[in-house]
Amino acid sequence: MSQPTVNVDDLEVVDGFAHENLEGWIPELASAADLKEALEKAFDYRGDITLTFKSGEKVEGYVFNRQTGTTLADSTITYFAANAPDKRKATYADIARIEFTGKDRAAGKHWEAWVKKYTEKKAAGEKNIALMPEALD
Amino acid sequence: MGVPISQMWTVATYVLKKRLKGETKYPLVLMLEPLFRCNLACAGCGKVQYPPHILKKELTPEECFAAVEECGVPMVSLPGGEPLLHKQIVEIVNGLIARKKYIYLCTNALLLKERIHEFTPSKYLTFSVHLDGQREHHDMSVCREGGFDQAIEGIKEAVKRGFRVTPNSTFFDGTDPNMVRAYFDEVMALGVEGIVLSPGYSYDKAPDQQHFLGRAKSRRLFRAILSNRKKSWKFNMSPLFLEFLMGKRNYECTAWGSPAYNIFGWQKPCYLLQDGYVDTFKELVETTDWNEYGTSSGNPKCANCMVSCGYEPSAVQHGFGSWSGFFAMAKAAIFSSYKDKGALDLLNNHGSFAAQHDHFVKIESIAPAAKLEETRA
Repeated sequence: MSQPTVNVDDLEVVDGFAHENLEGWIPELASAADLKEALEKAFDYRGDITLTFKSGEKVEGYVFNRQTGTTLADSTITYFAANAPDKRKATYADIARIEFTGKDRAAGKHWEAWVKKYTEKKAAGEKNIALMPEALD
Repeated sequence: MGVPISQMWTVATYVLKKRLKGETKYPLVLMLEPLFRCNLACAGCGKVQYPPHILKKELTPEECFAAVEECGVPMVSLPGGEPLLHKQIVEIVNGLIARKKYIYLCTNALLLKERIHEFTPSKYLTFSVHLDGQREHHDMSVCREGGFDQAIEGIKEAVKRGFRVTPNSTFFDGTDPNMVRAYFDEVMALGVEGIVLSPGYSYDKAPDQQHFLGRAKSRRLFRAILSNRKKSWKFNMSPLFLEFLMGKRNYECTAWGSPAYNIFGWQKPCYLLQDGYVDTFKELVETTDWNEYGTSSGNPKCANCMVSCGYEPSAVQHGFGSWSGFFAMAKAAIFSSYKDKGALDLLNNHGSFAAQHDHFVKIESIAPAAKLEETRA
């Protein structure tokens, strides 16, 4: 890790992180580097991914871990399939196609959106104004 | 001091035993996340943004007990998600009490009044209730009108039934320290054991990404809040950690001090960052490159972090692991008012804590009576 260029103890406010819009993305996997980059983004993505394996099997699930080795065969992802209870593991070498099919759950619901909604509803005389969690079904 | 002596004794002897054994990387509090589902949708939270099939998953009581026994901690924090949504939370809590673990059940208290009868008061069980300030602040913070009143009802009921209760607050850019001090008066009057507080962490998955305090502003804010303390205020935290927040001492992050375990496994490296998962606590300690984390590493994800899960273990280990730390802790307990004229000046000129981003002016202008500063988690 490189040394910091600024003294962090002097920072007044810290910038947040830029949010990359990946929903709907289907990366081209022309090389091993493409595959590694796409799986790194899949690991970071807060939505489901559809994986098509070289065997022809297609699985939609949430990728929550990756461990990179020296080759695609000894690099793995771990995921929960949307329709199965247990953790599953796959090697990078098994993967033929990646699609960012699931909704990005980290996008939206910004503070500004809440304030806008609150202002509008308050002006309309509404009470018990709230942002509600999304339905699970 | 808000922490009971039996709990301090347990932690102190635990730290001393570890030091006598020559162990350097040992945990103090397990952040045990039994589920990610929540009944709030706070803009500053980066913990619960997952697809529905993930939000439906829960750790079983057996998985919880195995994680606690594996890492051997004296204290367990049960955050989430909202733990009171977990179907077996009572079984989990009772199992941890049977194991003599000090538990902090972190709840937004929306369901506390409804479910409190299922729990039994114990010195091992504390309800750590998320409250980000006075009514208007808290409701804006958790994006729900009425959230504060429900939390207060829950706190009152828990206190009445003899439970340990600690309100738990997270502060972001734009927090008015005068509001926080008024909030301290309000919650202490409810009979809570002590207050827990922390600057917010800039989760990269939080929907809101603009309002995170840098270290300089955090220290100024906490100096203003925590200096010139009233005798009625109690804090359920290490006094040395509070001095760290006030800028009176410096610590490096002890990322392994509050390891996190959830449905994915043991989280690398800490409760706040997600750089991957491993199957065992041993693997977590042995395979994580700890030099990659903390402010001195240069890792930008650690740059503004002063959060309790990384720095309170440093303060506790200092306090119970060395004579200098022990005397500093005793001094902090005896001379707890922290008289500071400069801090009073900061309170009187609290405009310097205004948020850097323009839209907060708009927030205040839409609801001037409410004085909405954006303190939220």
